[in-house]
Formats: sequence, C-alpha cells, structure tokens
Amino acid sequence: MKIAMIGWEYPPFKAGGLATHCYGLTRSLADKNVKVDFYMPKTKHSTSSDKPNLIIKEVGETEIFPYDRPDSKEIAGMFYDAVYRYNDLVVARVKENVKLKGKYDAVHCHDWLTMKAGIALKESMSIPLILTVHSTEYDRSGWLYPNKWFIDIEREGMENADRIIAVSHFTKRVITEKYGINPNKISVIHNAVYPISEGRKQEIVLFLGRLTIQKGAEFFLRAAGKVLDYEPDARFVVAGSGDMLPRLINQSLDMGISDKVIFTGRLTEDEVNHIYGISSVYVMPSVSEPFGITALEAISAGTPTIASKTAGFSEAFSNCLQIDFWDTDEMANKIISLLRYDPLRRTLAREGKREIELFTWDRVADKTIDVYSGVL
Amino acid sequence: MASICLYFEVHQPIRLNRFSVFRIGNNNSNSSYFDRKLNQEIFEKVANKCYLPTNNLLLNLINEFDGKFKVSFSLTGTFVEYCEQFLPELLDSFKELFKTGSVDMIEETYYHSLSSLYDEMDEFEEQVRMHRKMIKNLFNYKPRVFRNTEAIFDNRIAKKVAEMGYKGIITEGTEKILHWRSPNYLYKPVNCDLKILLRNYTLSDDIGFRFSAKLWPGHPLTADKYANWMANNEGDLVNLFMDYETFGEHHWEDTGIFDFLSHLPGEVFKRQHLDFVTVSEATERYEPVGEIDAPWAISWADEDRDVSTWLGNDMQVACFNELKNIGRKVKEKGDEDMLNTWRRLQTSDHLYYVSTKGLQDGDVHAYFSPYDGPYDGFINYMNVLQDIKQKLD
Repeated sequence: MKIAMIGWEYPPFKAGGLATHCYGLTRSLADKNVKVDFYMPKTKHSTSSDKPNLIIKEVGETEIFPYDRPDSKEIAGMFYDAVYRYNDLVVARVKENVKLKGKYDAVHCHDWLTMKAGIALKESMSIPLILTVHSTEYDRSGWLYPNKWFIDIEREGMENADRIIAVSHFTKRVITEKYGINPNKISVIHNAVYPISEGRKQEIVLFLGRLTIQKGAEFFLRAAGKVLDYEPDARFVVAGSGDMLPRLINQSLDMGISDKVIFTGRLTEDEVNHIYGISSVYVMPSVSEPFGITALEAISAGTPTIASKTAGFSEAFSNCLQIDFWDTDEMANKIISLLRYDPLRRTLAREGKREIELFTWDRVADKTIDVYSGVL
Repeated sequence: MASICLYFEVHQPIRLNRFSVFRIGNNNSNSSYFDRKLNQEIFEKVANKCYLPTNNLLLNLINEFDGKFKVSFSLTGTFVEYCEQFLPELLDSFKELFKTGSVDMIEETYYHSLSSLYDEMDEFEEQVRMHRKMIKNLFNYKPRVFRNTEAIFDNRIAKKVAEMGYKGIITEGTEKILHWRSPNYLYKPVNCDLKILLRNYTLSDDIGFRFSAKLWPGHPLTADKYANWMANNEGDLVNLFMDYETFGEHHWEDTGIFDFLSHLPGEVFKRQHLDFVTVSEATERYEPVGEIDAPWAISWADEDRDVSTWLGNDMQVACFNELKNIGRKVKEKGDEDMLNTWRRLQTSDHLYYVSTKGLQDGDVHAYFSPYDGPYDGFINYMNVLQDIKQKLD
C-alpha cells in the first residue's frame, strides 16, 4: 500500500495536535509496511525520517500556519493567495513524483489547508481521497463568527472525500450536522500519545495550549482567582502563545493574581515535557475541542487532568475530571480538591496512566489501515 | 426434595447534595448534606416501578398457592425511613405480606454500612440492634437469620453474629470459600455455631443480571425453563438472593420480568420434589454438611467477590479512615443529630460510588451512581466529611 499524505506541520515544527497526529500516524504506518510519502511545507527547521517506508517531502515555502486567521497582521492581503499557491505546488510535486516512482493507491489529507490539493489529485489520478478532520472552522472560532471561506473549503473536501476520519464522535457530529455529510462515510479514530516521563511534582496548576478563543484560557484564569482565595500557595502556569496573550496578561493583572500566574510564552518540546512532568494538575478548559491530545500528554506524565466535558478526549477517557468550560466554580472546586486530597491525585495519576496505555499510535495506524482497505 | 429459598434485599441509600470545597466550614446544617429532592424522586420512581407492583404480585401469589409460595426480605433502615417519610402505604403492604406467614424478615445493619469492617465491633452491634428494634416495631418479630451488608462475611463477623443469637447467616456461594463444594447445602463457620446459607450465584444472576440480556444463550428466560434448571440442581437448597429492584427497575416491566415471577411458583410446584422455604425454615429444616473458613472478607459484589468494591482504591480507603476517625469524635460529643448524620454517611453506597473498578463492573457502578464518576463521588463525599470534621473540632 502506498499513500500520498499531505500535511501542514510535522515535528519539530508544531503548532497543534495535527502535527503530533501526523508524526505518530506516519511512523506507525511505516512500521506496518505502508509506504507513506508525507508532503509538507518547507520550513526553517528541516525535518526527515529514519524509516525507509516513510519519506518526508518538503514543498516550497509558505508563511501560513494552519491555525492562522486571514485577518492576522503579518499575512494580511496574501492569505488566500498563499493557500492556493501552496496547494498548486503540492499537486505539481506529487505528479512529478508519480512520474518518477509510480502511482499512489490513495491520497490522504489533514484539515482544510490541503483539501484543494487532495481533491485535484483524486480527480487527476483517479485514486480515493481520505480526509482526517482534526478540527473544523467552528472549533477554531469558538463557534463565534466562523469564517465562511474556511467552511466552504472544508465542505468541498468532505463532500469529495471517499472516507472521512474524525478524531472524535463530537467531531463526527459536527461534520454531519454542520456540513451535511453522510455519517456512514465517517470513521471515528481517537488520537494517541507517546508517553512523557513524570518529574518531581510541584504545586503547579497548568494550562498548555494556543492562547486563542478556542482553548478557553480566560476561564482557567477565572478559576485560578477562586482557587487562590482558598489555596494561596498554588501557582498557575499558562504555557503557549497566541493572539489572546495580551488580554490574558491584563486579565491576571485586573484580578490581582499576576504574581501567582506565570506566562511562559511558546515552549520548546523539552520544556513542554518538563512542565507536564512537574505539574500537579492539568486543565484543558477548551470552548470547543475536537480531541485534545494535550490531555493525553499530561496524563501520560502522571498529571491528573480536568477537561471540558464536550472535548473529544472526554468521550474516550474515563480516568479524568470533567467540567463545563464556563463553570469556573466547579473548575476551582476540582482544582482545590486535587491540591488538597492526595488520594485523589494518586488514584487519578495511577488509573490514568493505566488507561493511557490503550492510546497508542499503533492502534491509530491499524484503524487507519482499515479505512484505507475499505476504499481500495 | 430441594427447597427454593428466595430472598430480596430492599435498600435505598440517602444520597448527598452537591457539596463543593467552598461550602466547607460554612455552618452547614446536618440535613443540608442530603439531597432530599433527588432521594424522594428516586424512591418514588422505584416504588412505582418495583416495590408496589412486586409486593402486590407476591401477595397474590402467596394467596393463590395457599401460603406455600414463600419469600424473605431484608429491609434497610434507610429504606424504611423513606417509606415513613414519603410512602407509608408501602410499609403497610410489607406488613400485609408478613401477616400471611409465608414471609420472613432478615436482620442486617440499620444503615447498610461497612461497620463490620471497623477495628472494633461496637458500632456494628449497635447498628444491628437498631435494625432489630425497627423490625420489632414494624412486624413484632425477631429475625433469626442475619445478612451483612452486601453479604460481607468473614470468620470474625460470623462469630459476632453467632454471639448475638442468630441461627443463620447469608453470604455468597463463591469458590473462594467453597472450593469444589456446592452452594446448595448449609455449612457452618470454623469458629462458631451458625448455619451459613450460600447464594447460588449462577441461578441468582440468571435472573438478577442476565434476564434481559438478549445475547445470553438463556434468553428469553421462561419460568418453565428456569424451574427445570432448579430441578436439575443437586443439593438441599437453591438459594436465590437478589436485589428487590431486579423486578421492574433493573429489568423493566417490558422485559417480561413480572410475567416470569408470576409463573414461577406454578412451574416450581409442577415438579414434585421442589418447594419453597423462608430463610428461617431453611435453617430449621437442614443441617450443615461442612465447614467454611473465611479469614478474609468475601462479599457478593462485582467479579472479585471481596470488599474491593468499597475499599479497592486509595480514595475509598481515605474516606473510610476519615469516617472511622470522625466516629470517635462524634461519640465523644454525644450529639444525637450528628451521630445519626455520621451513620447515614456510613451507608456503603457512598464508597461504592468511588470505585474505579474495570470496565465491566464499572458499568454497573455507573448505572447506580448519582455522580459523573468515581472521582466526583470522592470529592463530594470527602468535602462533606471535611465539613463534619471542622464542626467537631
């Protein structure tokens, strides 16, 4: 089986779960004797593969990240052009490669960015198109003012795909209800994690994610204020960057808790692993979360996790605490309980680590191969 | 001749209100711990689906078969309190059943608690006495057979129960204590004089768990088929012990559970060598055939058949220890209302909700739990215990 996979990010370049997913999936597919050519934009961090079945093909250059908005300043005016140009480049590069090395059995795209290329390749080469949906425009906009341009591209991709992989039943529901796609062509494959090692725990309550409306960091800060009234020694870390950073810093100043909240900005992979390892509580208060791999990462590092009830992660995982993202009283209740009650922390850490063993990329690859087999 | 001994556990816990850490130390009244509205709702729902129609059916069956159809009940104190508060006519219907002479009452701890596992047995004894008093008041009767919470049993408990004057005790017919032997006989403990009735878990769970399971090869289970299975069992006794809520609640009416029950006595009496006995009659009619040694506590719960359902993880052990520590202080204080509150918190269900057992058992736990999961159950229960602790200091 030979797959042309088109992605947008791949470690070490990484802005979100899409990169983590592509990394784990392609490596496990390669181990299972699926040949994968992974097409992605050339970045300043060059990336490569140590597996003979997996070849990373860097195409052209682009300034766009998959979580960018067309109105962000740096790329204003050139956003749409850049997207189309990149997709054209990918199509040309794949065709070139087919001439040299022979045909692909299928083309597999991830999210909206490369859907145009996926559709073009499906049509010109008469091979099936598989589409993995990691998030939709509704998620990324926090369901406030979703952008029609993205939605149209997403719908076009979904309609043209022979098979859609959704990262959760939550996302499957969005795809059927908001995009009108037949549920029978959607398979749900939950994400996985490469476990992170546990460090020496400190009284740190962690938020880690893009600081965008989608991820709900503002609710984390509101809960932090309530926690600090009862547990003044607790420390809060907000790790990540994003357009909401200035607003969040102001919020913590207004709340008078800025001495208890550390904003780390964007962290390296080593730093991320370190902070997961030493935290006592991880909170993922996403407003809209198709899956939420960070929750798996935190739990793998022995950190008890509080996650949004609606997150795709929450539908698949038992040994965690769940909240409504807006219910900051309950969020604070749970944070305080975790800080106070050692047996609660211990049990969640132990049972969580046990459950995490089920979430392997090996399993994701097996299920993805099942999807390939269904359309070949 | 084999005797069928049908016994039903009738229990409802007093569920807790949502109690966040922010409420700890805010002069909460004892009654504010308990969710009266939810408790009443659930009680009335189960009463309408199960207790009232099943009582009615049993009464008709007893009359139809001239008192030869017999059953035994264990009513917990918390259940009886609900009846008194919300539905006194349900108690009347139990009294009417008892008056037929074909119904026996079983003793247990008033609060359906784990007090038999405390270091000292005094609290256990006290709760058994409370139950004895309650049964005396309601039925003017003194039970002869004891059944501990969820059939928890070990040598120490057996000895205490024998000392308290009971003739028989009920527990689980698990291989852990039986090894190769059959549950269909009476046994006695190694260390005292008491007759042990053992639950035939295969036949009991055929009704209790599997009755409505469409994938089970025995489905659909008819009274005729089931009577055949019982008739083919060797031994003196077939002990069928289950939650009373099996009828109409765990298996809804549309599964045919009431039809099954209503045809059961008739099918049993078609087989000459079968009849029904109450638990007391079972202990009078038969003699032990062997000894049971239970140095470690067993129970009828989950696949493990031990106490790990309530004390299987760190959270449960922490709550249990906290509860015991609070007990010492409560008794020193001599505050009756506080004592009653502490005892209501001892009902084993509160710890059951905190169980993190594996998927299969976990599903059953989730079905009964008022919480979103064991961790929420722990936080809520522990917060209440912390509040009480602060009140006592």
